[in-house]
Amino acid sequence: MKPVYLVEGKRTPQVKSGADLQDVAAPYLAHYLIRHLADKHGIPSDAVDEVIIGNTGTPAKYPNVGRVIALEAGLDKKTSGYTVHRNCAAGMEALSQGFIKIASGRSDIIFAGGAESMSQMPLLFSKKMTALFVDLMKAKSGMQKLALLSHFRPDYLKPIIAIEQGLTDPFCGLNMGLTAEKLARELGISRQEQDEFANRSHQRAVAAQKEGRFAEEILAITMGAKLDKVLAEDVGPRANSTVEGLGKMKPYFEKGTGTVTVGNACPITDGGSVWLMCSEEAVKKYNLKPMARMVDYHFHGLEPERMGLGPVLATAGVLKRTGLTLDQMDLVELNEAFAAQVIACQRVMKDKTLAAKWGLEDAIGEISADKLNVNGGGIALGHPVGSTGSRLVVTLAHELRRRKKKYGLATLCIGGGQGGATIIENLQN
Amino acid sequence: MQLTQLTFDVKDAIAYVGFGKYEKKSMTTLSRDAMEELRQIVTEIGVREKKKELKGVIFFSHKPGVFLAGVDVNLINSMKSEAEAARGAEQGQFLYNMIEDLRIPTAAVVDGVCLGGGLELSLSCDRIYASDNPKTALGLPEVMLGVLPGFGGTYRLPKKVGLPNALDMILTGRQVKGKAAFKMGLVEALLPTERMLELVPALLVKPVPSKKGGFEKTLERVATENFLTRKIVFQKAREKVLEQSKGFYPAPLKILEVLEAGAGKGRDAYLAMEAQAFGDLSQTVVSKNLQHLFFLTDKSKKLDNKEELPTVKRGGVLGAGVMGGGIAWLFANSDQAPIMKDLNQAALELGLKQASGNFASALRKRRMSEDDFNRKMRSITPTTSFEGFKGIDLVVEAVVENMDVKKKVFAELETKVRPDCLLTSNTSSLSVTEMASALQDSSRFAGLHFFNPVNKMPLVEIIAHPGASQQTLQTLYKWALDVKKTPVIVNDGPGFLVNRILAPYLNEAAYLLEAGISIADIDQAALNFGMPMGPCRLMDEVGLDVCEKVGKIMQQGLGVRALANPLSHKLTQTGALGRKNNKGFYLYDEKGKVIGKNPEVEALLPSKSISMDETQLQMRLFLPMVNEAAYCLTDKIIDKAATVDMGMIYGTGFPPFKGGLLSWADTEGADRMLAMMQQFAAEISPERYAPAPLLVELAQSRRKFYDL
Repeated sequence: MKPVYLVEGKRTPQVKSGADLQDVAAPYLAHYLIRHLADKHGIPSDAVDEVIIGNTGTPAKYPNVGRVIALEAGLDKKTSGYTVHRNCAAGMEALSQGFIKIASGRSDIIFAGGAESMSQMPLLFSKKMTALFVDLMKAKSGMQKLALLSHFRPDYLKPIIAIEQGLTDPFCGLNMGLTAEKLARELGISRQEQDEFANRSHQRAVAAQKEGRFAEEILAITMGAKLDKVLAEDVGPRANSTVEGLGKMKPYFEKGTGTVTVGNACPITDGGSVWLMCSEEAVKKYNLKPMARMVDYHFHGLEPERMGLGPVLATAGVLKRTGLTLDQMDLVELNEAFAAQVIACQRVMKDKTLAAKWGLEDAIGEISADKLNVNGGGIALGHPVGSTGSRLVVTLAHELRRRKKKYGLATLCIGGGQGGATIIENLQN
Repeated sequence: MQLTQLTFDVKDAIAYVGFGKYEKKSMTTLSRDAMEELRQIVTEIGVREKKKELKGVIFFSHKPGVFLAGVDVNLINSMKSEAEAARGAEQGQFLYNMIEDLRIPTAAVVDGVCLGGGLELSLSCDRIYASDNPKTALGLPEVMLGVLPGFGGTYRLPKKVGLPNALDMILTGRQVKGKAAFKMGLVEALLPTERMLELVPALLVKPVPSKKGGFEKTLERVATENFLTRKIVFQKAREKVLEQSKGFYPAPLKILEVLEAGAGKGRDAYLAMEAQAFGDLSQTVVSKNLQHLFFLTDKSKKLDNKEELPTVKRGGVLGAGVMGGGIAWLFANSDQAPIMKDLNQAALELGLKQASGNFASALRKRRMSEDDFNRKMRSITPTTSFEGFKGIDLVVEAVVENMDVKKKVFAELETKVRPDCLLTSNTSSLSVTEMASALQDSSRFAGLHFFNPVNKMPLVEIIAHPGASQQTLQTLYKWALDVKKTPVIVNDGPGFLVNRILAPYLNEAAYLLEAGISIADIDQAALNFGMPMGPCRLMDEVGLDVCEKVGKIMQQGLGVRALANPLSHKLTQTGALGRKNNKGFYLYDEKGKVIGKNPEVEALLPSKSISMDETQLQMRLFLPMVNEAAYCLTDKIIDKAATVDMGMIYGTGFPPFKGGLLSWADTEGADRMLAMMQQFAAEISPERYAPAPLLVELAQSRRKFYDL
């Protein structure tokens, strides 16, 4: 395998859906990142082999949003572009495909990342209403149409919320929140633990914002109805967050008896992120100074109703593949889909008995709090599903560079019962 | 038949008359020779028709995207008298009548531009088929040259599309695209560009389908084709024409006259009137001046070595103010995805607001889709860093007007861009030559002065300095043409070209105010001269603080003849800055509409107002401009009078019907100008009205500015 360089990664600010970025269609959450990275590193518009974008919402207007992004970014029309979908890890899937293509010598320059406008996920008509529409279009006479319309019932109009369906596992029937509840129950994770974890996510994110630690990874985005406003910071981290405040929130998924609230889960979010990935040859040709090297990645499946433990198996897999240990990881970004799920991962990773339950020979090790999500995570920053997989790597690489550390692990759980993990090596000391 | 201009072939009993095969220019026009060949061809067709050898005639163009751009303007320009011009029109009419009188079906197959005499020819055919090429546009732009369509266009167009549509097209010169032309019934059908010549022969032999046009069309015809409503339509049109032309342009009124008087007349009688009107109009000073302007503009669009020059693909803007935002808009609108840099977010948002505002009206009028708006606005990258500037081909600096700041900016900028990136400053008042000294490589640097508002003002001054390379200047010229601006290359000097000539006009207005002439009288005199707005109103637009600053710079650079009147200083002291704070000579509402005079200004002016003869007043305003233009020629700011006229018309709205400042001066005569200058020098100010040596020389040698 040839080495694969992560030249530079950038991301949009992340904002809870229905707010500042709600009018920004998915292509525009990534196209400007590509244009910027190409400009900055002097990559000619006709030198890019491929654009690979993770996206799960599949906007009706942009079925292959990856190609649209390549064109909107101003890349040459010959640049191939496509979209990948691996639920929450779509962005990491994009990186993994870029990795394989460069490592195998097939490609030299790839833009890979993710873009997700969860604000713009659609409402759908019910099956009955859709059938009525189809029949109406087929009807030839006015009388036929009238006859058809007489079958109409008001409940036909009850919409199907695409995002709600998407967040429910079709195999086990559990909503993602309920899979977190299941882990909390089975591993004895208390509400207090979850709220403390969530609160720390906010505190760390707010501190990172205050110290300008996101400034280099975020590229300001144009927004507003007239497109005359600029947003340069995440909207989400709350400086006034307290454990007590979080404690007052009602369980959202398991009403009454549950422990998972909207406060200790990640919000539905809009955002995008992109990496410029290059081969050794391209690095030399364009005189690039890559931030990092992508060491390897791994995806792993498990039971859908415990999808939250995906990072455990994916991490074990990538460590095995690379021969590295968890201790060697200087920083870890583990996506905070739910506080309960992150805590569950930590527990299973360090406990031999639990690890064995999920088929591991031994415990993987402990991720200490001072290595894990040091600038906060999904609970404070949000989780734009198609983007998060690459966003984690963006944040990770920037923090490794700042700390002049070597290895970093980015991992996340994937709805449907999978986990993904990527290891990178910082090259800028 | 020996043909050098047109082609003539017969295939399957269909005659094909082709234009543009031998035309080397991008636009095919009808020259005298082409007209003669057309006459021979149509005569031949007539002969063969009688022998029953032909089933139909098709007129088409060999050149993709151009059917016919009209009669060669040189031909119109060469007519020396009303009678000669009328005779020329009659010859064209006779030829087009021959086409109309053919008994076999005739069709014009139009792909691309079809204007003036080209459309008139098409109208004399039984049918017009247009291609679905987005370039396809039909129109009668003669009014823009101060004449009317003289080859039967005013006779045939109303018959085809109805009076209201025809009036709109003939009076404004507006071009209609294929779809709109089909909707109004001007063209029979829209056909696929690549296949139209294959399809038309089959269509041609079918009878013309009767036009129903639906209830609406019938109603429109009934409404416009009776005596009373026609009278109202003409009355309304006349009012609108007067409002828009302010009576300066005779052609639109003449057009209305011909159309109205010609109602009910037979073809020959009508066409005789049309030819006469064409002859009369073609010899008016206004038409001559408009023709002059046409030639100047046409020439300015040509650049011989265009292919050899680099193409700007990406733009950059430093400073996101009103001008910076406007320039970012220009780049974005031309698909040159700019990076716009300023110091902070608030400043960047101002620039975005400016750009977004420039798109707003196109969006409102649906000339731009929501998607395109999104794409173009989002092609602007707002940033506070120089990251990404390596991707840029042309940077326009529009930061604060301060030499030290600009020098610092350029010294830094030079290290952030590629060595072949063009660097320019949108300064309006600072020395480009001095600014160039801040750069290691100043050969790629020049001034690039836009006028406010960028989206509306066509002119761009490209300002040279001794170190600038020819390639830099020419690449900027090419870029300006690409983004649909009108460029002029000028040398460095106080105020460059346009502001330098405009300054004495504004300065003199202040002296007149001081002498007791009212704001209203001064502005009205300028309006009656044909200016789009009076000098007081213009100073409000420019900004009184800017006027004060520019006045100082002119005085410093040009000496006593540019002695700045202190009025703008006094005004800014009262807090009146002009339109930017809705308070200048006039008061404005939030939308920028004048709501009255500013009492604080009136308090600064003499309480007793005196009146002055309007011509005298106009001379007081415009003579110093001519005088300064003479200095610009002597100082080699520009090398010919034509550049002054282009600059003043496209940069200040100097009346086009006067052909430009120096065309006007030439018409008036240098001797007369000199005499008045001398008189004003004696009576008003020996400094400000000291005649330029060049003006004296021209007067003495009885030469014109355009003779230089």
